[in-house]
Amino acid sequence: MPHAESYVDPGTPEEQSRRTFMVNAVMALGGVIGLGLAVPLVTSLVPSPDAVGNDWSPLTAEEWAGLQKATDKPIKVSFSLHEVDGYLPPADTDQFVWAVKATEADFKAKRPELFAAGGDKLPYPVGYLGFTIFSPICPHLGCRYSWVDAQNKFICPCHGSEYTNLGEHLAGPAPRGLDPLPLRDLNGKAELTWIEYKQNTPDLVVLRIG
Amino acid sequence: MLNWLDSRTGLVTMTKDFLTEDVPGGASYWYAFGSATVFAMILQIATGIFLTFYYSPSAATAWESTKYIIEKVPLGHLVLSLHYWGATAMIAFMMMHMLQVLLWGAYKKPRELQWIVGVILFIMTLVLGLTGYLLPWDLNALLASKVAIQISGSAPIAGKLVLLFLQDGSGIGTLTINRFFGIHVWLTPAVLVLLVGLHLMIFRWNGSAGPPEDVMPKLKPGRFWPDQMFMDTVVSFAMFVIVFALALFSPAPLDAKADPNNTQFVPYPAWYFMALFSLLDVVGSIPAPPDIINFLGLFVTIVFPTLLIVVLIALPFIDRNPSRRLSRRPVVLTCTGLVLGGAIILSFYGQYHVMDQQHLHGVDVASASTANTGRYAVDTSTGGNAGGAAGGAATAGGAAAGATVFTTNCAGCHGATGQGQPNIFPPLANNPVVTGPTDKLIAIVDHGLSTPITVNGGNYSGQMPAWKGNLSDAQIAEVLTYVRSAWGNKAGPVTTAEVTAAK
Repeated sequence: MPHAESYVDPGTPEEQSRRTFMVNAVMALGGVIGLGLAVPLVTSLVPSPDAVGNDWSPLTAEEWAGLQKATDKPIKVSFSLHEVDGYLPPADTDQFVWAVKATEADFKAKRPELFAAGGDKLPYPVGYLGFTIFSPICPHLGCRYSWVDAQNKFICPCHGSEYTNLGEHLAGPAPRGLDPLPLRDLNGKAELTWIEYKQNTPDLVVLRIG
Repeated sequence: MLNWLDSRTGLVTMTKDFLTEDVPGGASYWYAFGSATVFAMILQIATGIFLTFYYSPSAATAWESTKYIIEKVPLGHLVLSLHYWGATAMIAFMMMHMLQVLLWGAYKKPRELQWIVGVILFIMTLVLGLTGYLLPWDLNALLASKVAIQISGSAPIAGKLVLLFLQDGSGIGTLTINRFFGIHVWLTPAVLVLLVGLHLMIFRWNGSAGPPEDVMPKLKPGRFWPDQMFMDTVVSFAMFVIVFALALFSPAPLDAKADPNNTQFVPYPAWYFMALFSLLDVVGSIPAPPDIINFLGLFVTIVFPTLLIVVLIALPFIDRNPSRRLSRRPVVLTCTGLVLGGAIILSFYGQYHVMDQQHLHGVDVASASTANTGRYAVDTSTGGNAGGAAGGAATAGGAAAGATVFTTNCAGCHGATGQGQPNIFPPLANNPVVTGPTDKLIAIVDHGLSTPITVNGGNYSGQMPAWKGNLSDAQIAEVLTYVRSAWGNKAGPVTTAEVTAAK
C-alpha cells in the first residue's frame, strides 16, 4: 500500500491528541448507535405474554355427558378449545383431555406431591364436579400418551413412561406424574381450560394458564 | 493476539490498508453523504431482519402481523418505525450523495463505472421503497401500490408481461404480497449489498475525486482514519438520532386493512415518488382530447422516467466536457437544476393534490397530513376487515350507526381515526375522558366546550359546539357508543335513556 508510510507518521503532538480524541469519539458514538439499535431489536424478541393463550371452553351437552361416563377407567374427552395463536384470528381447535372419576380427596390421597408445601402448588382446585382431568401431554418430553386397557395404565408411545389411572408415575423416564387440568362449573355448564406445564421437571412448573 | 489472528487471516493488515486511505485535501464533511447512505442501509438491514421475526406475507396475515408488531411486540412499533424512517433517511442521503457527485462532476473519467453502479444502486433503493410500501397491506399500501403496478403495466410492448410478473397473476392478492416480500427482503438487498461492495471497490481503486477543481492544487494528504471516519461517524450519528426521534414521536402509520371496495380512501405515495405521481396529475388536467392525454400520461409515467435513467447511466459518456469546475459546466448544471427544481415543485403540488382529494372525500386536511407523516391509528370497527380477523369486538348495535354520525359531524375536527389535531382538538382515541364516566361525556357533547381541556398532558384550545338540538338523543348515544369502542378504546355503550336523563 503506497499510503502506509504516511500512516506511520505520528504527526505533531497536537495532531496526535486531536486524533486520540477522534478515535475515542468514533468509539463512543458508534457505541451509542449500537446500543440504541440493540435495545429495541433485542427487546422485540421477548415473547409477548398474551401472544398465545386460550379461554375457558364450555363443553357441549354431549361432551359433558361423555365425560360423565368416566369411571375408575379414564376416558378421552374431546372438546374444542378457543385458542389465540399470535396474530392469527382466534380459532376453535379440536383438543382432547383424559378424564377419570375421582374426587379431590381421592386425588389428594394418591398424589400428595401436588399438595405439598401448603397445598398451593396447583393454581386451581382439582377433582371439582367429581372428576379429575389430565393434560394429554406426557410430562417427559411432550408426546401424547394413551390409556391401555389391557394393562390398566397410561403408556406413552415415545419413551414408554407409564402412569396409573390417577396419574401416578409407575415406570419409564418421566420425572413426575400426569398433570391435572382445571374443570369448573359456570352457570350449569362444565368448562375446561388449558395449562401449559414445562416438561421434564420433577416439580410442576406452570408456563401458562389459559 | 492480534498478531496470531493477522498471521493466519491477514485481517489486521487488511483493515489497516483499508483505513489508511489518503483523502485529498484532508477530511471533509462533504465526503460523508455516501458513508451515511451505507449506514442507513445497515440500519435498514438490521431492523428489517428483526421485523421478519413477526411479519408474515400473505393477504390473511400481512396486515394482522403488522398490527401485531405495532400493538403486541415489545418495542415492536419502535423497530417498525425505525425501518419506516430509516427508508426515508437512506433515500434522502442517497439523493444528496448523487446530487453532490453530479454537481462536482465526480462521475467523469476515470469514474464512469463507479457512477453507473451508483445509478443502479439508486434504482435498487427505489425498488426497495416501492416493494416495501405494499407489505403492511393496509388501504394505502394496496391503493398506492396498485397505482404503481398499473403504471408499470401500461408500458408499451412489455406492459402486460410486467404486470403479470409483478402481481404474480391477474390481480393484486396474497401472491403479490409474497412476491413483493421476496423482492424486498431477499432479491434487492442481496443485489444491493453486492453492488455497494463493487461501488466501494472501484472507489478505492480511483480514490476520492476531491473538490471540483481542474488542476488539483497540491493537497496535503489527509487521513481516512481517524479524521474522515470521525466526520462520517458524526454525520451517521446525527442521522440516527433524527431517525430515532422521528420513530418515537411520529411512528409508522397503519391504516385500516386493505379493502379494494373502499372508495373514500385517498392513497398517498411515498415522498420520493410524489413528483412522478404529481406529473400524472398535471397531465390529466390539461384540456386536450383523451388520446393526447393518454399519450402524454404514458410519456410522463414510462417514457420520461426511462429516459431519465438512460441519460443518468450514459451521463459520463454524454458529458464529454473534461472540466469539473462549476463555472465551465453550464449545461449539466442547468439540466440538474431544472430536474431538481421541477421535482420539488411537483412534490409540493402532489402533496397539495392529495390533501385536496382527502378534503373532497371527507377526510379533514389536518388529520390527513398527520396520517401522512405517520400518526398511527388503527380503526378496527370501520375498516374493511375482509379477513374478519380484526379482533375488534363487535360492540352494541348503535356503534355502526354511530360511525356514520361521527364521520358526518365529528371527524372534521377529531379526525377520521379519532386522532384529533395537535393543540386544537383533543384525540378521542386513548382519551380517558372518552372512556370515563358517561355523564361527563354526555355533558360535553350536549353543551360543547369553550374552555381549554387537558388530555394526556396535552392542552387543546379548540371550541366544541353544543350538539344538543342538532343531534337527537339517540344519535348522541350512538356516536358515544362508537367513539368509546373504536380505535382501541374499550368502554361500554351509552344508551339513549342515559342521554335523555342528562339535563
